[in-house]
Amino acid sequence: MNDYTNPWLHRLKWAYMLLIVVTLMSPVFYVMYISFNANGFGANEYDFTWEWYGLIFSDKLLMGALGWTMTLAVTTTVIGVPMALLAAKFYKRAQNKVLPVFLLLAPLFVAPDILGSALLVFFKNTNIVFVTLGDALGTGIFDGWFDLGFMTALIGLIIYTIPYSFVVILITMGRYNPEQTEAARSCGATAWQAFWDIEFPQIRAGVFSAASFTLILCFNEYTRTSLLKGGFDTFTTVLISQMLNTGMSEQSYAMSAFVSFVAIAIIGGIIITTMLRAEMLARQHREVAEPAAAN
Amino acid sequence: MDSTTSKAAGGSSVGSLRPSLSETMGKWAFRLPIIFMVVFFALPMALTVVFSVFERTMFWMEPGFSLLAYENFFFSARLNNFLSSMYYSLIAVAICFVLGFPIAVFLRKSVPQVAQHRVVLLFILPFMVSEVIRVFALRPVLQRNGLVNETLMDLGLISEPITALLYSHTGVIIGEVMSFLPFIVFSGFLAMEAVPKYIFEVCDDLGAGTVRRFIDVILPLAAPGIFAGCVFIFVNGLGVALLPNILGGAGAVNAGLIATQAIAALDFPLAMAVSAIMMATLMGLLYIGHRLFDLTKILSPIN
Repeated sequence: MNDYTNPWLHRLKWAYMLLIVVTLMSPVFYVMYISFNANGFGANEYDFTWEWYGLIFSDKLLMGALGWTMTLAVTTTVIGVPMALLAAKFYKRAQNKVLPVFLLLAPLFVAPDILGSALLVFFKNTNIVFVTLGDALGTGIFDGWFDLGFMTALIGLIIYTIPYSFVVILITMGRYNPEQTEAARSCGATAWQAFWDIEFPQIRAGVFSAASFTLILCFNEYTRTSLLKGGFDTFTTVLISQMLNTGMSEQSYAMSAFVSFVAIAIIGGIIITTMLRAEMLARQHREVAEPAAAN
Repeated sequence: MDSTTSKAAGGSSVGSLRPSLSETMGKWAFRLPIIFMVVFFALPMALTVVFSVFERTMFWMEPGFSLLAYENFFFSARLNNFLSSMYYSLIAVAICFVLGFPIAVFLRKSVPQVAQHRVVLLFILPFMVSEVIRVFALRPVLQRNGLVNETLMDLGLISEPITALLYSHTGVIIGEVMSFLPFIVFSGFLAMEAVPKYIFEVCDDLGAGTVRRFIDVILPLAAPGIFAGCVFIFVNGLGVALLPNILGGAGAVNAGLIATQAIAALDFPLAMAVSAIMMATLMGLLYIGHRLFDLTKILSPIN
């Protein structure tokens, strides 16, 4: 039976799909709702307030953690997304695609606690090997390369985010016709010029989407960061320690809601921008195809 | 376009004068991510097997050969916990498939092609909110005086709050479904690329019913993608410690939680043994999947 013979069935399917999305989001919406209640969770009366949000912004520990989170997220994006781009280009050209696919997608299938534990022990043992090597050579320059800290957390986050960036960029690259690069090269463009002037403008949307996803994923990540970060705190580690130590306080609800608002705003922004861009491109195409009709 | 042309034209002399060093470096630059992943992903994961047989010391480990970590895993309650977490993870996979895969079929079959990717973006929305927040947020939803119980009682459907929703295996399964359902929609959506739209019309013309069409046509064609999505949910159900930690009660322990508890107890060889067992489980599943369905087909829509 097709969708036109029974439009109600079609509508029911749409309703089911939206119901699933709303159900998946319901805990987040509920947290947002509680975060504006002056009386907190479970109270009989609901009094709207911004008070809890004011408290999180005056919390120095939290603001410090926010700074670290942003630095880590931006650094991961600046390094990880170009790496994913290079990997996608390598994959396109590779004769044997199994190895790059395995290496770049396998982190998706390794649970966070398992990857975090494996990297933690790997870094600590590598440090021991490096120090022993330095001692044998009579130098201290190898000491502390992989001490738990910013760099180890960064490596963990790049491994976590690279599969997502890789897939997003690869999907966008699927729409690019490589003959354009060949044409540019035969016109005398260098490899870089052919990439930057011809290919990049066409895959830019994918690269920026990958960058946005990477930023959000890093901002939200907890397990790998907490295992590999060493001394500093990030937004989620502060959130978890507050939740575990004091339970869900009103401030925890406000913090959770705040992070969710930011993530939803970014994704909403991407959806609206892509829709507007698609509309603009369609209009431009119409104008080129039918100049008289466009006027 | 003019600037591009002029640059390209001007680039001919520059291109020919520039030594091939940059091109050589460029070639290596493309290999850089692969080298990075070998050194910082494949190697650490492979070394878990080596580290798991090291001797445990007071605060760390030292090179040696000991199977004590595996003994600690296989001859204790940990094995039972691991096996029962497999069972509950499988239930979560089944629920995700039943709830999520029809959405992927509906998207490919009935939503106009231009709108399909935008609808998929809707399912990215929950995924973009931190898992920490989503899992913690389930507590006020599922607990005794939470959203679900309050709503059901207000509707008069129950007289007493349901307490089994939280701090139980049911709570962990609910958490897994809420966390991983979008992935079956994504992988199902990619998998359905292998099922052309005309297939539905052909089935209609030949008089195949919905069930027969699903079992004999859609399922075999979309199998690689479905399998990948199911493996993803299964291994994350086994490995995400946060879920049993926050939503589970007594006995709700999965491999991720065993590993992190071992690290907290400074039993690093045990943590590595658990990681190695998880990797072996994953490799085994992927090998079976590859033999059965040829998993490289998953990326064929992208290629």
